[in-house]
Amino acid sequence: MAHCRLTRILLLFFCLILSCGFSHAEPLIAQTEPLHNEESHYDPVDISPGISDHFHVLFKTLTFATTQKASDSKLNPDNTFLQIPRYTIEGELRPDFSLNFDSFQLSAKPRVNVAWKRWEDSPKDGEDNINDDWYVNEWLASLRFFNRLYLSYGRENLQWGPSYLLSPSNPFFRDNGQSNPKREVPGMDFGRLVWIINPHWTVSAIANTDEGRQEFANGFDPTYALKLDFTGYKKYFSLIGSKREGNQERLGAFAGWTASDAIMLYTEGSIGKSSNALYPEQDLSSPFGIAMTEKKKNDNSFEKSLLVGISYTLEMGPTFTVEYLYNSFGYDDQENTLYYQLQQRASAFLTSPPPLGAVSREALGQCTDPGLRFLRQNYLMAQYLHSHIHNKLNLTFRYIHNLDDHGGQFIPIAELDIGDHFQLFFVGSMNIGSKDTEFKRFIDHYAMLGLEYTF
Amino acid sequence: MRLKISLFFITVVVLIATGSVSFAEQSSKEILQNADRARGNLDGVKWIVQIVSHEDSRVQERVLEVQAKGYDFLAILADPAKVKGQKLLMKDRNMWFMKPGLRKPVPISPRQKLIGGAAYGDIAATNYAGDYDATVLPDETVAGESCYVFDLKAAHKRTTYDRIIYWVSKQRLVGIKAEFFTVSGKLFKKAVFEYKNKIMIDNNPNPFISKMIISDALLSENVTIMTFSQSRLETITDGIFDLNLLMMR
Repeated sequence: MAHCRLTRILLLFFCLILSCGFSHAEPLIAQTEPLHNEESHYDPVDISPGISDHFHVLFKTLTFATTQKASDSKLNPDNTFLQIPRYTIEGELRPDFSLNFDSFQLSAKPRVNVAWKRWEDSPKDGEDNINDDWYVNEWLASLRFFNRLYLSYGRENLQWGPSYLLSPSNPFFRDNGQSNPKREVPGMDFGRLVWIINPHWTVSAIANTDEGRQEFANGFDPTYALKLDFTGYKKYFSLIGSKREGNQERLGAFAGWTASDAIMLYTEGSIGKSSNALYPEQDLSSPFGIAMTEKKKNDNSFEKSLLVGISYTLEMGPTFTVEYLYNSFGYDDQENTLYYQLQQRASAFLTSPPPLGAVSREALGQCTDPGLRFLRQNYLMAQYLHSHIHNKLNLTFRYIHNLDDHGGQFIPIAELDIGDHFQLFFVGSMNIGSKDTEFKRFIDHYAMLGLEYTF
Repeated sequence: MRLKISLFFITVVVLIATGSVSFAEQSSKEILQNADRARGNLDGVKWIVQIVSHEDSRVQERVLEVQAKGYDFLAILADPAKVKGQKLLMKDRNMWFMKPGLRKPVPISPRQKLIGGAAYGDIAATNYAGDYDATVLPDETVAGESCYVFDLKAAHKRTTYDRIIYWVSKQRLVGIKAEFFTVSGKLFKKAVFEYKNKIMIDNNPNPFISKMIISDALLSENVTIMTFSQSRLETITDGIFDLNLLMMR
């Protein structure tokens, strides 16, 4: 306990010292000698000669309140199982530090989150509590050799691919961070070797060695990948071969083409012979007659995920994007029926004494996170994005439609700049459909309103 | 015999003509190369670009730390604070935008303007001598300065503009004015250049671009001012423009 407190104090001290140091930085001596530059009133962030020349810091603080209404679903009847808080107020410090030399780089992103939560409509009705969380979401040490070889190790949020809905070519992260841009995706530990063959071709060897801050309901297995990237005139593509320990190999790919100044076409997908996701199956040994199993772990049939997208930018600014996803990893109609039957049967025994109550909670826990980014097989997404409206407002409206269960999710995101340092933001989510639809399993609606301050 | 003499004279005339044409091309190219030298370096340039954009009576200001090589560049937004740390990468005319915290680079189309009225190519170095076929127009005087005038037409599809009329000072050998045209031949913006910076090339001080003032051809009150400072000519490694490494920075 004392050790933990000491660590927190040291971390905070480190953040404050660095942020103070950088906020009083001296300007860098210019390489060109301006004869007259009286109109430039920018003071560079770099500082006086020495090691501090190479230090950079970005400090953000976020304060936000959220309200969310838990769905009265089969998975979470009366919010008894998940006990989702009705209201939260959070404050988060997000300093990003980096030390950049020509061939060596160090960076760290320590975080402090303090959250107040209040429950309603659940067994915790009327309760509230405050928690603080101190952690390093990302850090990295990297070395460059011979101008073309980069070796790194650290905790990263390693994202790629052109799509918004999800990135099926990424074998490491299920969440690509697009659904709520104000929430950081927890980092995982990676070792990477990147070889830039020439300006067009790059090869990366990637080892995901630890789950880091991610949580895997079914346990973490190290994953290894080899990534080949090509960039050509107005087009790019990547191939990603990966192997998760205990699973078969998987091949992912993405590609994009800038068809004109306004139109971009892209695709992203993956194909693999096994999945360690959980699928519902009839099981007479289960007290509910149905169990969640890793039935595709040793399956020899190919499962695939394919996303195609197009975006069009109008001359006046807004960009419209449409994406379609086919996801054979998801449940078919029969599996979907079993999935909700299992929830209904298990939730009836949620408050039963052990062992039935414990088995019920385990089954519902598996249904909560079966290891799939999307539960079903066919999705359509439409998005409207308009940035820099009057130089101060960014708007995103995204609608995702599940073509199999006909449920949907509407996500509005608004960011309003107030002066040079403050931004007021709103992120919402309105889930549409019956109780037996994917998007309505957990939350009926969600709203986040907050203020971001950048030093 | 008369036929042989005629053929001889025709050959001489053709040789002189082609020789004079190639001489003219060479000198145009040299003039443009000199002008390009004051606006960057194909092997790489690092500079701070301040962009102040006046559009429809609104003012937008951005400061970018730019590393550019050929047509590729990485721009890290440094000011104002609200955009600090945002990154813009152009590689082979593919563009990505990345916000700190979000981490996923998002591909964007060239039409998605993030830096006011300037074209993305304006923050990189120029290579008019290599990228455009030049036709020499009659000399003109601009602001009291005698200028060569060139009609530049894009020699390949990678250029930022399709056609440019470019005025180069005879005395200073720097481009001081330009007019930019669409494919259909319509004038859409104009620019004037200032060279109040200097940079050492072969131990000699050379004038170097300090400001580019771009105005909309139709709405003259829409003006974008780009101020260049802390410029350094140096070789930029390919890793700077690699998307895999962008997330490390």
